[in-house]
Formats: sequence, C-alpha cells, structure tokens
Amino acid sequence: MRVDLYEKLVRAGATRRDVLKGAASMAAIAAASGAGIGAMTRTASAADNLRAQILQIPGVGKGSPTDADWQKVGELCLGGTKANVKEGEFAGVELTFMGLNNQNLHNFLFRGFLKPWEAYTGAKINWIDLAQADYNARLQQSIATGTVDFDILEMGAPFEGDVCGKGLASEMPDWVKKQVEVDDYSDYLKPPVGTWNGKTYRVTIDGDCHNLNYRTDVFSDADLAKAWKADTGDKAGLAEWGVPKTWQQMQAATKFLKGKKLKGQDVYGFLDPPKGWGGFGFYFLEDRATAYAKHPSDPAWLFDVDTMKPRVNNPAWVRAIQDVVDSLPYQPADQINADPGTTGFQQFLAGVGSAITWWGDIGEVAKTSDTAVIGDELGFDILPGSDDVYNSKTGKWEKLASGPNVAPNCAYLGWGIYVMARVDKDEKKKKAAWSAAAHLGGKDLSIWCVMYPSGFQVHRNSHSHIDEWVAAGYQKDYITSYLNSQFGSYNHPNRCVEPRIPGIFQYYSAAEDILANTFAGKMKAQEGADAIAAAWEKLTDQIGRENQIKLYKASLGM
Amino acid sequence: MAEQTSTANAWPSNPAGLIPAGRKRLGWGLLGVATLGLLAIIVVQILYKTEMSTVGFDTWRPVVYAYILWGIALGAWQVLTRGEEGQRALFLLPALLFTIAMVIFPTLFGFYIALTDWNLSSFSGRKFNGLDNFWQMLGDPYYRNALLNMVFYVLAVLVEYVIAFGLALLLNAQIRARKFFRVVFLLPLMLSPVAVSWMVGKSLMEYRFGPAATLARYLGWENPAFFSDPITARISIMILDAWTFIPFMMIMLLAGLQAMSREVLEAARVDGATAWQTFWQVTFPLMLPVSVTAVILRIIFKLKLADIIITVTSGGPGGATDSVSSFIYREYRDRSNVGYGTMLAMAYLVIIVVFVTWLLKFASRFVRNVN
Repeated sequence: MRVDLYEKLVRAGATRRDVLKGAASMAAIAAASGAGIGAMTRTASAADNLRAQILQIPGVGKGSPTDADWQKVGELCLGGTKANVKEGEFAGVELTFMGLNNQNLHNFLFRGFLKPWEAYTGAKINWIDLAQADYNARLQQSIATGTVDFDILEMGAPFEGDVCGKGLASEMPDWVKKQVEVDDYSDYLKPPVGTWNGKTYRVTIDGDCHNLNYRTDVFSDADLAKAWKADTGDKAGLAEWGVPKTWQQMQAATKFLKGKKLKGQDVYGFLDPPKGWGGFGFYFLEDRATAYAKHPSDPAWLFDVDTMKPRVNNPAWVRAIQDVVDSLPYQPADQINADPGTTGFQQFLAGVGSAITWWGDIGEVAKTSDTAVIGDELGFDILPGSDDVYNSKTGKWEKLASGPNVAPNCAYLGWGIYVMARVDKDEKKKKAAWSAAAHLGGKDLSIWCVMYPSGFQVHRNSHSHIDEWVAAGYQKDYITSYLNSQFGSYNHPNRCVEPRIPGIFQYYSAAEDILANTFAGKMKAQEGADAIAAAWEKLTDQIGRENQIKLYKASLGM
Repeated sequence: MAEQTSTANAWPSNPAGLIPAGRKRLGWGLLGVATLGLLAIIVVQILYKTEMSTVGFDTWRPVVYAYILWGIALGAWQVLTRGEEGQRALFLLPALLFTIAMVIFPTLFGFYIALTDWNLSSFSGRKFNGLDNFWQMLGDPYYRNALLNMVFYVLAVLVEYVIAFGLALLLNAQIRARKFFRVVFLLPLMLSPVAVSWMVGKSLMEYRFGPAATLARYLGWENPAFFSDPITARISIMILDAWTFIPFMMIMLLAGLQAMSREVLEAARVDGATAWQTFWQVTFPLMLPVSVTAVILRIIFKLKLADIIITVTSGGPGGATDSVSSFIYREYRDRSNVGYGTMLAMAYLVIIVVFVTWLLKFASRFVRNVN
C-alpha cells in the first residue's frame, strides 16, 4: 500500500528523492502507512538530510522492512554511483553475485539495493543464493576446482586466506576506496583485515563481535534480588543481584535461576548453543574461553604462534568446556539440541533465557523485526570477564592487578564484498563489478543496514553517533548500551581477533563434532579438548603448517 | 511358399561374411583414428593438468567432446563391420556409453579420489596417499558410531513393516471412507523429508510450544524433550522417518493384497479357518514375495537416511542419531575433506552392495522355504 502511494507520487512528477526530501511528502507516506502523528512529526523533522530520510524507511518499531523499502533505500543512496558512473554506462554487462540468504536477509537486501543501481547503470546481475551452512563448501569447491563462476562475492574475512591468498580476487581501485570512504571503518577492520600482501580487496559492509545480550527485567527484578540475597550458594562475588560481570558470576546466576519464575513463567539463566552450526557454533565456546585464555600480554589465544600447536586443550579452554557441561543441567531440558540460531532467535528473542552471547543481530532484530517478542527488556554489554586468566607462557593462572580479565571475541570480522579477479580482463565489467560493490558498501547505505535487520552490524566510526540512532527511533538508553557493547568490544585492547587462516572453519567444524560428544557426556572435558587438539594438528599438517604459521602471525598483526 | 520362407530365413541381410573388406577396413580405420584421438587428447590434458606440459586446455570439456566423437565412431564401426547386427547394437550403445560416462567412470574416479589426501583448503592440492584414508576410517569412532546407528535404523524397518501391513489390511477391508483414508495415509510420502523435519521435528515436537510436547506434558512427561536424550532422540528420528515412509510400504502391501485371489481366502473360510488362521496361514505366506520386496526397498531407502537428521539434530546429542550419510555430509561440507569423505562414501557403498546382495539371497531362500 505504501509503495503504491509512493509510486503514485512519483508518477505525479516528483522524483523519488524529491518525494522523500519533502516533509509534506513524508507525512503523506507516513499517514498512508497508518503510522500516525508521532511518526509524521519525527519524519518531517529528520527529512533534511539523506541519512535521516532513509532511516525512516520503514521506521524503527514499525515492523520488518520489505523489498520495496530496500529498493527505496538503494535508490536514495545512488549518489556515489552517479558521481563515478554515467547513466547506462554498463549496458550489456552481466554480473554474477554469490552471497547468502540467511533469514531472508543478505542477498535479499542486495537485490533490492542493487535494483535501482541496475536501472541506472544498465548492468544486469544474476544471483547465486546460499544458505549459511552451504556457503563454505560451495566457496571451497569453487576455489579448489578452479570453477569460480561468480564476479562479485559476499564473503567473511576468515576466507581471505583461501581467496585473496590464491590470487582469485581483484584489487580494489582507488576510486572505490574514495567512494566507500574506507577511512571511516572501525580501526579493527582496517588493514590487515581486507588486505593481502599489502593490496586491498574488501569493501567492508559488516563488523563482528560477540556481545552479551541480557534481559533487563530479570536482572533488575526485586523478588529475584531478594531471593539472591537469601541464597547461600556460591555467588562468585556478585553481592547484589544484577548483570553478571564475570563468567564465574554467570555460572552462579544460571544455577540460581533454575526453577525460579518471573511473571509466572519459568526463567532460565545463560543459554549455551551446544549443537553444531557448520563450524559457527565454535564461536560460542570461544565466548566463554577468551576471558580465561587470552592473556593481555600475549596476542595469541587459539594456537601457539611459532608452531601452530593448538591451545584448545590447555587449562583455560578445558575450564570453558567444563563450564558448559556444568551449566547445561540448569538450562532448558532440550538445550543440548539448540544451535546458535535456535538460541538467539527461537529462544532468547522469544523470551526464553536471561542472557546469551551473539553477534549484534539480536539488538537490531529485537527492535526492528516482527519476529522478536522480547520487547524493550533488553540490555547489552561486552562479554563477561574472568577473575583469573591463564598465562600460556608460564602455564599458570594469574589474577590481574587491574581486576577481572576481559577479552571480547571479534568473531568472524564481518562480511565484505569482494570482486573476483576474473573480471580484470574486461575493464567495463571490472568497473561495473566494483561499482556494484561500492554501492553496497556506501557510507549512507551502511547506516541503514546496521539499524535494520540485514545481518550486518556497526562497522564504521560514523555508526557511533547516538543522536542519529535516537532520531531514527531508538531509545537512548537502549542504543547507548548496544553501541557501547559493540564499539567497546571492537576497541578493547585485549580483543580476540579472528585468525584469517585458510580452512579455519574446518578447525571449528571438527571441534563441533567432538564438543557435541563432550556436552552429551560421552567424553570428559579434558578428553574432548585433547581430541580437538589432535584433530587440529592433523588439519594443520594437511593444509600446510608453514603457511598456516605465517598467516596466523599475520592475522594477529605480528 | 515354403521355399520362399526358407530362402528368406536362410538369407540374412548384410551377413558379416558378405560385407566387403574395404568397408570393414574403413570401419576399423575410423575406430582406430577416433580411439587414438581420444587417447591422445586425454594424455595431453593429463600432462597439462599435472603441469608436465604447457600444451593443453583450460577445462576438460574437449575430452568430453572427444569421447562423444569416439562414441559416434564406435557406432559407425559397428555398422560398417557387422552390418545389421551392428545396427542393432546402435540401440544399446548410447545407453551403454552414457552409463559409462555418468556411472562407471564417476564411480572409478570416486575410488581414486578416496585414495587421495584432498582438503579443499590445502595449498598443495590433491595428493595420492594410498590406503591412508582407509586406515583412518577403520579407527574413526564417529564413523563406527554412525554405522552402529544404521543397524538400529535398519532394524526399525521391521516395526515399520508390521505397522504398514496392519494399515494395508485395514485399507483393504470394507471400511467406511476407504478411498479417503488411502489418500490421507499417502500424504506423508508426498512430503519432502526436510518439510517433515520442520513441520514435525521442529514444530510439532518443539519442547516449549509444540503440540506433541504439550500433549506429552498433559500425559505426565514432565520434560518432553524429544531430542535431548540419546535413546529418545534416536526413537524420535525413527518415528519421523517412519511417518514419512510407512505409506510407501503400505501402498506396496495394499497392492499385493488386492492382487491376491479371493478364492483362496474364501476356501480357507469354508474350511473353518479363524481370521487369525486365515491371515497367518494364508494371507501372510502369499504376501511374502511382496513383503520381501517392500522391506528390501525400504531398507535401501533407510540406508540413505540423512535429511531428517541433518535438519533436526545434526547427528546429536553426542552422535546418538548420526547416520553414515549425515556424517559424510558433515565431513565433506563442513570440513571440505574430500578425499576422506569420499573414502567413507565408497566404503559405505561396498558395505551396502554386499549387505543388499546377501539380503536378496537370504530373502529368496526364505520365501522359497516358507512357500
């Protein structure tokens, strides 16, 4: 309905941009959508600049955006393209784009964003949609068999070793760097991320870290606070009922909450996702392990840098595994069969559990998607710390003078858009591919993506302006908490950065199978950790130890 | 008239012996050239791909074209050297060549891949490693666990058979709305196992809000988690799979029942046989050939069980529901371990061929002895 009216206005003589620029037009759109006076007022006042305009499409708290919304946003953000490309310049060019279709996001959005780009440039894009779980295998197959059948690729930084390291990607032209304003990227996403041997390959569209998402109603409930005070169990230093700051406190809170009720419903503490998720599930064990395993004096935490000897069976990791094993009996009865997707979207956002670790999607989706029912009872923090940290060099647990050790997990380093080297031989096609990538990675488009369900989180310094989020419809407390958890993780001096080594998901996947047995009680924590280490050693030898050492060091900035 | 017939029969058209030597030579020459061409192009391409030569093609497509040309030359050779017999062979040759290209060659190539160390992320690419993958497979507890699970899954077919037979008898009886029930009972078979996984495994059996879980709670099961405990999870997967495939067995058995002679049953009734005696002494033995076919086909389907497991449990908890196919799927898809994954698949293929061969022999002996 809104789209119909919108198109009617455009047909009446106004350009799409004019329509959205004018407060009266915006009011008309809002009125037509039934959004009400409040929305009109907010929209009209924000209509002076492009960013404010796009952030009202469809409006925070007004349900999930649709394809029409994505197209509108894409059209409004064509400025960068128009500055570098003449209308119809790519007529006759056909490009193939390979990306994901997770939760009907990613490629679904790209299609909408690129539709006006196609109309303007004359290029045509063919799409290859992949489920997250199939992505790795498809990409690896293409690389190994030399059958790269796509020109533009949505890819995570962990695969840069596989793709850029094998000369399959096209180097980013300078005009693209200028169009996407690479200087605005968060520091931890600047080179070496996105580069290989000093060449830049990636248009960053996402930033990744796992943060703590918790239920504010649970951790501020007076009855629970009273019960906590009366409880004689181990409280791990959490004297007053509140959000746990360490994993020790999280364990204590989870055990305490078992059997308790809130608003007549069973309430649970922290939720682990023990079921594998194509390798991605391992990140969630990392969340528990980093505070134990990442010593501030040592950049490494997953492998020894000089030998690639796995650290996954050292006391720190074994403790994290044991924590999961100890915690599972206090979680919902079917938790063993929950993968991260279930934990995040079917459980936590639906009101089950009091705390989870996840990427920033939870905070985005809770406010802007029809699928979330958790409402406003949501708070965020960086990952919990630990009272003590394991020092791999000395082989001892240490208590830091600065207090609990905190080590945010910058898991996956976000998605990026890469152009494949196969377009290099055709200048027109190359420019078209990079133009499409630059359009998707534009600064203005990016603010919309990080505010609405897209699969992408904040990744630019310009995403940290709280006023912009508030003007878009977010509550100040909510978004302050959210952004602090995100940027607090990105900029933390003891952050754990994803190792960009080839086959990293094979390591994670091998670990998932063994962890599934450990969590099911078929193996002890140490036994499972040793089995993972053995599998990883074998994998390193199979892929090539010398290369892996070199690349692991590079990923740690050594 | 008799003479004419005799003459016609004694005079085969284009008898091989009557084909001119020149024509035969042409046929052999054509085949020789085509064969040499095919072999040459294969050798050139292998040398190029193994970086022993700089002359070759970017893709293997020219080899496929050469194979097609060779196939045409083979057909021409048959006609030129064998006359009408050769023309008859032309009916078979395309299917034979297609089978070689699409089944036999890939299988042999698969056996070769199984003997290589091929991780898609490896910088050194594919390397021949003999029987290393085989020895690794023998010591792989996850593969053994999956094989053991397959034994349980296959044994569950017997229970499915009993239920399917019961349903078939019911639908064969003079009951009200028989046609309606026949269609309804067939519906699960028409659904994709992935759809069944979501509709039943992940919705109906969902722990919190699933109707099956709610019913179980109502019946006194405090924590109706269908996929958390190893035994319950395995049984739940068996039920999901059975729900999908029992209609398949049922429809085969129903067809068998309907084809059965009514006179035999009436004779049994005239002789004073009870309903149970009629079933056990008459219906069941007569239905054995159909039953054996249904059970064997169902076992073959069962041996490929993967989609429901991948969707609902990913093989968990702790590998309790893992099937060989779902384990191979993870090994290949998540870990890009092509060489080892192929070895697991090839070993499973051999196990299935041996098992099904034995099963067929056993079944035929069983049917013979009973009848």
